[in-house]
This record gives sequence, C-alpha cells and structure tokens, in this order.
Amino acid sequence: MKRPDHIENALCQMHTNQWFTWTDSKNKIYANLKLTEKVGIDGNIVDNPVTELPTESAVNAKLKELQDAWDAANGG
Amino acid sequence: MAFATIDVTKGITGTIPVANGGTGLASGTTGEFLKFTGSTTLAPAEAGGGITEVDQYRITSTFTGSSNPITSNWERNDTVFDKIGTGMTQSSGNFTFPSTGIYKVEFNLPFSRNGNNQYSAIKINVTTDNSNYTLRATSYGFIEEAGAETYSSVYAQTIVDVTDTSNVKVQFGVVNQAVCNFYGDTNANQAVATFIRLGDT
Repeated sequence: MKRPDHIENALCQMHTNQWFTWTDSKNKIYANLKLTEKVGIDGNIVDNPVTELPTESAVNAKLKELQDAWDAANGG
Repeated sequence: MAFATIDVTKGITGTIPVANGGTGLASGTTGEFLKFTGSTTLAPAEAGGGITEVDQYRITSTFTGSSNPITSNWERNDTVFDKIGTGMTQSSGNFTFPSTGIYKVEFNLPFSRNGNNQYSAIKINVTTDNSNYTLRATSYGFIEEAGAETYSSVYAQTIVDVTDTSNVKVQFGVVNQAVCNFYGDTNANQAVATFIRLGDT
C-alpha cells in the first residue's frame, strides 16, 4: 500500500458508503467535492445520511493523520 | 477461337449446386458473405453473429463499508475504450440495456482492510419489473490480515435475458462483515462492470 497522498484517502475514512462524489472525477480537488444525494443501504436507495461536507481543514487533518499512521507503520 | 459464353451445365461433370452460377450474383457488396437462401440458391448477406454491444462502467472513487446498491460515481470507461454499439445507460446505479437480447454481465471489485474481514460479498441484482430487484449472482472474498493493509478482489457474473428494456435492469452492490476499502478509479478499471450482448433473446 502506498502512502496516503490524496484527500480521497481521507474522505473515504470519514464516513462509510458512497457519501461523496466529484463534480469532475478527473479533477479530484476539494472545490469539486460534493455530497451524493442518495446511497444504497440494505438493497434500498435512500437519502444520504451525511448532510454536511467536512471542511477542507478537517479533510486535510484526516489525511495527515493517515500519513502519520502510515509513516509510523513503515518506519517513516 | 474465342467463346462468347460458356454453358456450365454442359461439359462439366459432378454436382453443380447452383444453376448458371447462381442468381443475381453479378455483383456483391464489400464485407458481405454468400449464404444459401434455398437448397440451390445463393445470395449475398451481411456478416452475422458478431458482438454488437459491449460497454463498461467503472466506479470512479474509493469508498468504505457496505453499499447495496452502489448508486454513485459510475462512469463509462473513457480511457482506452469506448462502447461498441449504443451502450448502457445508468441512473442511480440502475443500468438499462440498449436493446433486447442475451447479455453477459460481469462485476469486479477489489478491496482491502488492515485487519480481518470474514466476507465481502458482491451482488448482481436484476429486476424484470423495473422495481423489485432479485439477487442473480454473488461472490465472496475475505481478508486474513497479513501484517498491514491486505488486498483481495471479488468477481461475479451472470447472463441476463433482456426481453424488455423498460423493465429488465441490473444493479450492483457489496456488503461486508468488517469495514473495507473498495477501490474506484477514473483512470484505470478497478471496480468495474462489463456488459456484452451475446445474441438475440
């Protein structure tokens, strides 16, 4: 596994399921981040239970947390 | 001495399957073949039996946990391939076929976890009434942690008889025992569904 280096690494650890999407999947930057309207749970398509995007600083903090954990585990 | 015409029904022994060399074959169309249209008649025909529909959708973003159905972040493979034929359409993870026929549907999903995971089960669900989806294919994978993030992959396939494009649709899902990472990518296929039309319904 490579060292976490992208905000998507952090985002998918902040909530489960497909709670986020991108307005441009080829340009995954915070400005293009948005909530999905629906998610699939137990065979049903329901409203996304996540109703608020995390702040950019919160996402960056989560990414740093993952990087620190990776560095500690890999002698960084 | 030159012959203006040759009567092939004379002076030739053995079976002549098509009288006078066939009917209406003075010319042909590029790419077409000859086929029998009766026991002794030939006619040009378009090539048949080839694949007329192939499409591939992938999930563009990684996610964690169960997602059944997988509703978001689908995109058509747009890097080294474009669809053959009309292609599938997709809305909220519900896939609609472009025409009736027999289709092979495949789904592959790589995943990982830093720890054990008893199972991750992918699902191919099919509806025949555009409403109620029924599990038609599944596959299980697991993670036995190998000292760090450990990876695996699951693959399932089924064949669907699409008799009505308005009502026969498919969707995909995944459920697991422990929270795993399920990998998506917009530049390379990781989580990917493939649709191939095999023939007529």
